[in-house]
Amino acid sequence: MTAAASSARPALRDHLVARAFRTKTGAIAGGWLVLLALAAIFAHVLTPYEYDVQQLSAAYSPPSLSHWLGTDEFGRDLLTRILYGARISLSVSVISIGLSVLAGMVLGAAAGYFGGRLDRMITTVIDLSWSFPEILVALILVAIIGPGVTGTMVAITVAYLAQFARLTRAQVMAIKSETFIEAASGLGASHRHILFRHLLPNAITPVLVSGMLATGDAIILEATLGFFGLGAQPPTPSWGAMMSSGTALLFKAPWIIIFPGLAAAITVVSINLFGDALIAGLDVRSRPRTE
Amino acid sequence: MTAYVVRRLLMLVPVFLAVSVVIFLIIHLIPGDPVDNLIKIGSGPEQRAAIVARYGLDRSLPEQYLIWLAGLVRGDLGTAIVAQRPVSTLIAQALPHSLALGGLSLLVSAGVGIVLGAVAMRYRDGPIDQAIMGGVLLGSTLPTFWLGLLMILLFSVVLGWFPVSGARTWSSLVLPVLTIGLAGTALVVRVTRIAMIEAAQKDFVLLLHAKGLPPSRIRLRHVLRHALTPVVTILALRIGWILGGAVTVEVVFARPGLGTLLIKALNQHDYPVVQACLLMLAMAVMLGTLVGDILQAAIDPRVRANLK
Amino acid sequence: MRKLLAKAALAAGICFAGLCAAVPAVFAQEATIVFNTNEVGAPTYNPIKASMLNAATGLIYDMLVEQDADLSFHPHLAESWEEAPDGMSWVFHLKKGVTFHNGEPFNAQTIPAWLELFKESDNAYMSEAIDKVEVVDDYTVKFAMKHPDPNLLYNLSSTFMAIPEPKAYKALGDKFGVTEAIGTGPYKLETFNVGSETVLVRNDAYTWGSPLSKNTGPAKIQKLTFREIPEESTAFLELKTGGVDMLLGVPTDFMGELKSEPNIALLTLPGSEVAYMSINVTSAPFTDIKVREAAAFAINQQEILDSIYGGVGSVANTFLISALPESQVDPKYLVKYDPERSKTLLDEAGWKMADDGIRAKDGTPLKVSLWTQSDTSFRRLSEVVQAQLKAVGIDAEITSFDSSSIRDQYKSGKQQLAVRSYEWNNADIVDWFFGGDRLGYPNTSMFNDPKAEELRKKAMSGSANSEQRQANFKTYHEYVLSQFPMAPIYQPTVNVAYNKDRLVLPEHIRGTEVGPATFMDMTVKE
Repeated sequence: MTAAASSARPALRDHLVARAFRTKTGAIAGGWLVLLALAAIFAHVLTPYEYDVQQLSAAYSPPSLSHWLGTDEFGRDLLTRILYGARISLSVSVISIGLSVLAGMVLGAAAGYFGGRLDRMITTVIDLSWSFPEILVALILVAIIGPGVTGTMVAITVAYLAQFARLTRAQVMAIKSETFIEAASGLGASHRHILFRHLLPNAITPVLVSGMLATGDAIILEATLGFFGLGAQPPTPSWGAMMSSGTALLFKAPWIIIFPGLAAAITVVSINLFGDALIAGLDVRSRPRTE
Repeated sequence: MTAYVVRRLLMLVPVFLAVSVVIFLIIHLIPGDPVDNLIKIGSGPEQRAAIVARYGLDRSLPEQYLIWLAGLVRGDLGTAIVAQRPVSTLIAQALPHSLALGGLSLLVSAGVGIVLGAVAMRYRDGPIDQAIMGGVLLGSTLPTFWLGLLMILLFSVVLGWFPVSGARTWSSLVLPVLTIGLAGTALVVRVTRIAMIEAAQKDFVLLLHAKGLPPSRIRLRHVLRHALTPVVTILALRIGWILGGAVTVEVVFARPGLGTLLIKALNQHDYPVVQACLLMLAMAVMLGTLVGDILQAAIDPRVRANLK
Repeated sequence: MRKLLAKAALAAGICFAGLCAAVPAVFAQEATIVFNTNEVGAPTYNPIKASMLNAATGLIYDMLVEQDADLSFHPHLAESWEEAPDGMSWVFHLKKGVTFHNGEPFNAQTIPAWLELFKESDNAYMSEAIDKVEVVDDYTVKFAMKHPDPNLLYNLSSTFMAIPEPKAYKALGDKFGVTEAIGTGPYKLETFNVGSETVLVRNDAYTWGSPLSKNTGPAKIQKLTFREIPEESTAFLELKTGGVDMLLGVPTDFMGELKSEPNIALLTLPGSEVAYMSINVTSAPFTDIKVREAAAFAINQQEILDSIYGGVGSVANTFLISALPESQVDPKYLVKYDPERSKTLLDEAGWKMADDGIRAKDGTPLKVSLWTQSDTSFRRLSEVVQAQLKAVGIDAEITSFDSSSIRDQYKSGKQQLAVRSYEWNNADIVDWFFGGDRLGYPNTSMFNDPKAEELRKKAMSGSANSEQRQANFKTYHEYVLSQFPMAPIYQPTVNVAYNKDRLVLPEHIRGTEVGPATFMDMTVKE
């Protein structure tokens, strides 16, 4: 009976993603995300240009047939850099949020399941960092670790940790009292068994959905750190770093800042819309009518 | 009510202490000798000795923290490494600019958000509702610095309506306030809309309808008023978020506020200034939460009762 | 509830009104000027201790002597002077009736008290040749020299030898030049925020202007605000939209745009700036002179001039500006782009090309750090330098620092390559940046070579007259070039832009830059 309960949930999850794709907004948003991910992965095949080879004579070219989105101040193709930048921006955000979800879940589950002093300690720390805007937490961490991709990833991971820990704790505490857990406990199952086989699998879906939404925020955070010159260092392209150097050229070559910003904005909106579609699928009462 | 406020204030003390410990630890967490983090590179041995004596760097960490905290209470935030003047002076210069920006942005997002939320609720599920909700989603997801730069491009460079940067005239506040305000509107719109939808289903509203009052009047006088409680709370709780946004926007518009000071100090490795800026921002967040709670308690007596 | 909100709004309104009342009202005779980006972050107005001073310094203080655009010298606080035929003594006759901003008189007593302050300062070399100062009478001083110094008048005309009030200087200690600065100049320092803004107010008692300006009385403009805007595009947009009245440095890529603005006037003056890449000779792999030479010859000066600077200005092939005779070195010492030479040298040094385009030696890739200031212009130049180094197989990783903290960072000696620039129109700058006693900063190359020190000493203090000094400095300069502690890149012009509808500048710009002489005659259109 317990095995059935824990394996039924992942099936629901797959179903959930499929269901989100079947809604109109979900399909468009999800489609963009899949397309962008593929374009980032196959960037080296898709574009004839290199992201780091300068061609100074072609600097500041506005969008044209040979450079669809124009070139930057070093004559590098902007589209190419946006695609390669997607690699950095997306992987930094996804990996950091992944780590953040993982660590947040461990902390949250431990706090929720064991309760007592451990819970109070973890909750205090979480509440503390929760009261700071993410950008401030990130800035402090980058100040300590130093600028660059690593610093950015640590900063994002820690900045969002509190959110997932909180959510997991709430989920675990809610499920803990359900009958099947009490049954397992009564049958003499170990803490580890109950925590990893029963509690976490059942608490995971909302955390994953909120992790998905946070990935959008993480892209913005990465871009903001990049804008302050604290993110990826040249010539590595990330959307934030590209916009940072584009700031100075706002007047002379506005496309250098407009297009990476658009790419980030569309991606973040897509993540939000797709996340909304997922949430709608979770909540039976408000399931979208378009289905 | 007074008792509630006092109690709430007392609850802030441990949080403040915890935050101050974290901020105090920054100079010790940054790689390298903390003395080097507090003076110019290449300073002579006398200057090093003076710093060690002043911050008690030769003593244990708890003692150092107490020395630092005692300084804080006296308003002594240390001396800026680069600017060579008391950090409190720098903070005093920057704070008014940030308060003006943050406060006005809060008002803008509240005003615009409540109006749009009410409109969206009125035309619920129609094209107007969808347009508003889509628009605010977009507004909340755009990177603020990007939005700010595009505003400069459009309103300062192309149209020439507002100054590009600085904080010398009132008009230089318009674009930064709009940038933060727009980004913050989304949440207010969402909360207002949902709170109004819920309030509209309450029994007393049905009763008012039954009494034959005009629907528009019911919506404005009763439903909206009822829905404001969560909106005010969410606004106060978002003060920290607004301040976070202000950091970025201040840099974009080169306004001499706390955010600019913080970013500059970070780049200059001027850690006493970094500590002071973070402390100010953290205190603002805590006070924002406090104000939110007190407002909520003022509106809703149940909250007051709960704390007892 | 509504009442509550209304009250809150009212309270907030009052609070903001109160806060914003602090913003000063706009006066008519007031101008806002933006420093050149290479002057951003000057940490102090203390001329004796500073290693860098901005254009406002010359307005707070006066010098004994002024130098004009044609490099000739003119009296200022010194009305006249005589040099002994053997160069071993100088007599200066001082102007009467000059007072400092704090009311203290300026007279012969000031001079020894002031020169005394140079002891133990990095700028001591400027007055090092002076052995003793003798006060002849209230307005006459006599310098007894250790050795002849053909460069004395030049030094006295530099802002580093601008004269602060010695008593206030001693009383304020480290704060002098930061919180207060007392001089005799046409403007008084009102406020100074490092890295952001300097506000100067007119010294109404000023009647001792130099002959370089028509106006020798109080300046015409009541209040000058100097802003430090590290971002050139912001500065440019501010000028274009009327937010500021004048830019003391316009980057060349904005010149085209500014020329098309009807209300903007653009002045192009010969510059005294050189952009270069310093190479830390004490940090491996640059301890090997071949690697240094290879890095230096990988820099394509012409491409940088043409594509980043639109061909405005000129390439730099030595450490000195071309206007100085000491820059006319033997052609074999010129550092001029030669990628084949670079590659051969690296091969010889054992750094072999690997598959990823980065050279390696014994499995270690040729990976170095490249420091620069975080301002766009420096970052852009550094990114091009990075790409040019990559072309010969050197992988340089850019680290950028804030302009006001990078000088401190250099003192750590951890830099390898650094893209930077200086502004100076005298050959003694070679001594300043490569002297073995200034390791870290200004000697970012950590260059300390016995032979160079010998030549340096001869150049600095072993010359009886200008010709000898020139020859000695040329030899010293040539030797430094041959050791490759840096690679020269570019010599910009000085481009000053101002709003014609707001400011009127004198017809001829006198002095070596748009400086005090220009500001004295400048007026604001009503």
